This record gives sequence, structure tokens and C-alpha cells, in this order.
Amino acid sequence: MLEDVLKSIVEMEEEEAVNKAKEYLEGGGDAQKLLEVCRDAMGKIGERFEKGEYFLSELILGGEIFKEIMEFTLPKIKGGSEKKLGKIVLGTVKEDVHNIGKDIFKVFAEASGFEVIDIGIDTPEEKFVEAVKEHKPDIVGMSCLITAGVTSMKKTVDKLKEAGLRDGIKIIIGGGRVDESVKEYAGADAWADDAAKGVRLCKQLLGMEV
Amino acid sequence: MVSNAKELAEKRLARLMAAMNLEEPDKVPLAGVGGDIVPAYSGLSMYEYCYDSEKALKAMEKFLKDFPCDWPFAASVSGLDGRVFNVAFSEFPDISINLTFITGPMHDALGDKYYRYPGREISEDSSPQFIGGSFMEADEYDKLIEDPVKFIAETVLPRACRNLETPRKAMATMVRLGTEISKFNAMMMQTVGLMQELGYPAMALGGAYAPLDLIGDFLRGVENLLLDIRRYPDKVKAATEALVEPIMNYALAHKNIGATLAFIPLHLNEYLSPKLYKEFYWPTLKEVIVRLVNEGFKVMVFFEGRHDAHLETILELPKGWGVAYFEKTDVVKAKEVLKGHTCVMGGIPMGLIVGGTPAQIDEYVKNLLEKVKPGGGFILAPGVGTAPRETPVENIKALIEAVEKYG
Repeated sequence: MLEDVLKSIVEMEEEEAVNKAKEYLEGGGDAQKLLEVCRDAMGKIGERFEKGEYFLSELILGGEIFKEIMEFTLPKIKGGSEKKLGKIVLGTVKEDVHNIGKDIFKVFAEASGFEVIDIGIDTPEEKFVEAVKEHKPDIVGMSCLITAGVTSMKKTVDKLKEAGLRDGIKIIIGGGRVDESVKEYAGADAWADDAAKGVRLCKQLLGMEV
Repeated sequence: MVSNAKELAEKRLARLMAAMNLEEPDKVPLAGVGGDIVPAYSGLSMYEYCYDSEKALKAMEKFLKDFPCDWPFAASVSGLDGRVFNVAFSEFPDISINLTFITGPMHDALGDKYYRYPGREISEDSSPQFIGGSFMEADEYDKLIEDPVKFIAETVLPRACRNLETPRKAMATMVRLGTEISKFNAMMMQTVGLMQELGYPAMALGGAYAPLDLIGDFLRGVENLLLDIRRYPDKVKAATEALVEPIMNYALAHKNIGATLAFIPLHLNEYLSPKLYKEFYWPTLKEVIVRLVNEGFKVMVFFEGRHDAHLETILELPKGWGVAYFEKTDVVKAKEVLKGHTCVMGGIPMGLIVGGTPAQIDEYVKNLLEKVKPGGGFILAPGVGTAPRETPVENIKALIEAVEKYG
């Protein structure tokens, strides 16, 4: 049964995946196990994306299916004491009001076991600084879609440096307009323009083998 | 005023036309940077640039004088894509062509939920931004297919624009919108005059859109549409087919203003696998392009993001159809695939202009042009023309000088 769930998520069979997951739980299945299977499926979708077999539409659809299943699975999981891979403070930078890239990344990061604190769009530098102080994340993820966001990223990194917080964190930037030269300019540790690569790099930044 | 303005404009136009006609120009043409840096260079806020046309024109003049290029494609208007309005008015060609750009004042008049403007929803220094949204339900495809113009004009726009919610509000809104269109057109006339004085070619730009993008950007929202493709594939396909005629109607209306180049910015191209692209996106986009070419237009398509997976489909278009403007697709590879068939445009990552040094830019342009210059058919341009406010001006100068040297 769980294998069917896995397969139908990876193959983008939305209805099939949701129905099988429901059936599994209704038959007394273990919600925690279901969650793990869904996570594996998201990992496989990410792998296919990085191989060039899947495209952004599959990442988005995969994320939707995952969210749909989680809606009725997560309430059945007790405790929540599960060990996370790490904590990410995530936001779209100042003067950029786009959320699509940030939201796709968030689903994949959570699916792979990160705790994500989403601080929203058009996020001032100070808000990133406050969030880092408050949540003590391992990673700060900054997203932008428009080119103006590129300079906001640099300013945010500078503010984190000023606040003496830079050394304690890894910074990854993401979004349609970022590349190696933007990473260098902003002073980030890694860059990705897709969620699959982004999550893989987050694991690498924390020294995990991927 | 540039003393040899007329001569300069002719030279620049010849350069561009040679590239578009797949010939080797005297020098590789450069489509320059624009965007937020244009007002910033004159100390203007983005808000002033979007709402004060007199100041905006002065800023444009100063920028174009100091940073000359062959085609200031990105440094002219400050409006956001209004293609859904083009379609809504497509039965009235004289009106329709005025709505390709929704300016800040037009946005205020409409009270739409598609855009965010500086000094309005966002800070005075922010770039104007397109957000889109979902203004059509999944079960309304049949209405869209049956009569797309009626459905968009009478059902979608009243949902998407606060000031079109009721017929009463709409009356006042349309009067206000008309006033803003007149002001915008007056500004465009002044812009054309300015371009001529500064020795830039006057090229009236037309426009069209990929039918699937119209649904994703303005009707259903990108995420919803991607789900719809899986859930209701036949309806989505039929909707793209139904949108071809209204899109053609507005695109061809640009003949009346002497436009010979139609611009189509793409959005969902990089989201789709080759299978989905060939089934839902490309057939109707191709039809739009081919029909425009048959009507005597050259078409310029902006392939947002990475178009690598779909590069070969471009070869299905008639040779010399127009310009393929790439953002992140490797232009060297693209030129290899498309040489002798399609003019290739792009090549400069904005990150390099924002964060690089003049020496790095010089080196980069030298290496790139060595590869793409031979044989012509190439226009050098930033992958995205919008340079942020803080872009170092010495880097823009370095780009221009490098093209002078190696072009």
C-alpha cells in the first residue's frame, strides 16, 4: 500500500496518491510511516528534477500532492518531538513581493525534514536580523524574483554581519534571477534557482552527505 | 540633441535589422540596460518615475545620453504587462493597443489586484511588480472557451479590478482610464521625439502573448493552471485554442501604428516538460507567431528562465521569423542550434553588471563575442534588462566600452 502511495506521488497521479494515502490511514496505517514515505517521494521528485526529467510544474504539483496528504496525516502524528535536520529562517527580501519560489522551496525543505520559519515577503533587513536572534536558525534562506532583490540580498547579509550574526549561520539565496555572480556579490554561501537544488545544498551546508 | 542624430539612428537601425535578418552587421548591436537604475541615476524615486511623466522623461534623457546603446529596449516605458486588458478590448483595435502597458496611474484608475506599484501598495523605492492571481474558478473553463472576450471582460475583470466591480463604478473607471491613456500616449510621443533627438531608431513595438500564459498570469494563477493541466487537460487545451483569435486581433491592431515588430514575453515555458510544452503551450504560441510572420511582422520572443529543453522547437518556425531573446539559456549553445534560422539575443547576466568589476565585464564580453559574433544574427543584451538602483554606473560604462572594442 505505502509503495503505491510513493509511486503515485512520484508519477504525479494526484487523485490516486491522495486516495491510497487515505485508505492506508483508514485501514489503521501508521501516520508517521506515511509521512516518511511522502518525504521519500518528494526526494525522488527532486532527484528527477535535477536529472532534467522533471520540470518546475512537477515540483509544484508534487508539492501540492504532498500538502494535500499532510493535511490529514499530520494531525494523526503525536508528539512532534521528531528530530529535525536543521532550522531555516526563510523570506523574500525587501522590496520584492513574490512568493512562488519561496513557497515551493518551503514545501521541499519541510518535506526533507527541515523546520522552516517563514517570515514572509518584502522582508526588511532588520526583520531577518530579529528572526535570526529569535529563532537561532542553522540556515537563512533568502528569495527574490526581481533584479532589485539582488541588492536587497547584499544589504541583508551586510546587516547580519553588522549584528555579529553572520558567522553562526549559513546563508543560501534562491530565485529566478540569482546565479554564482549574485552569490559572490551578496556574500552568501550557496545559491540555487530551483527548490530541489536548494534543499540539497542546505543539507550540504550543514555537512550532511547527499 | 546629438549633432548627427539622424545618421546615428540610421546606423543603429541598420545594425539591428542586419542582425534580425541573420546578416553580419558592422558591429554587434547592444540592447542596453534599463529599469530601476534609470530614475536612480537622476536621483528620482521609483514612485516619481512611475507617476511623474515629466521627471521620468528627463531621467530617461539623461540616462540614454550618458549610456548610449543601439537599442534602449529596457530603458523606455515604466509599465507592467496588461495583456488581459488587450484581450478584453480586442474587438476595439483603436483602444486595445493602448493597454499593453498598465502604468501606475492606470493601475490606480482600475484598482486592479494584478500589480503592485511604488508609493501605493509597496514602498516608493520598490520596482513596480506583477503578482497576478486567480480570478477564475476551475469550473468556468467552458465559459472561457465559449466566448473568451465576453468572459474576460464581463466576469474576470470585475473580479480582478476593484473599480470595475459594478457597472456604475466601471463607467467612471473607464473615463479615468481613457484620460490616463491619453496622458501616456502624449508621453510616448515625447519619448519618440527624445529618441530621435538622441539618435536612436524609432521602432514601434507591437505585442502578442502565449495563450497559456494569459490563463496562468491573469485568469487562473500559475499554480492553479499547472494543476488544471493535469486535472482538466482537454479544457485547458480548448481554452488556449479559443484565445488565439482575440490575441491575434489585438496583435494585428498594431499594424495601424506602423509596428513591424511584435514582442511576446513568455512565462510558463521553463515550467513545463517538453511533453507538456508541446501539448499545451507551443501549438497555439506557434500559431500566433506564424500568423504574425505571414502578416509581415518580425516577432521577438523573450524566453524567460531556461529554455534549453525546448530549443529545437524554435526551428519549426519559418526561417528569419524574428528574434529569440534568452534569459538564462546559454546563448552560445542557442546560437549553435539556431544559426542561419533565428536571430539570438541576450548573453549578459545581470549579476555580473551589478556585482562584477569593469575588468571582469570586459573579459566576459570579449570571450562571449568571440564565440557569437561570427556570422552575425546576434544582439547582445542583458538576460533581464532591469538593472537595480545600486548598479555601479562604471559597470554599465564598461559594458558599453567592451562592445565598442570587441563588437
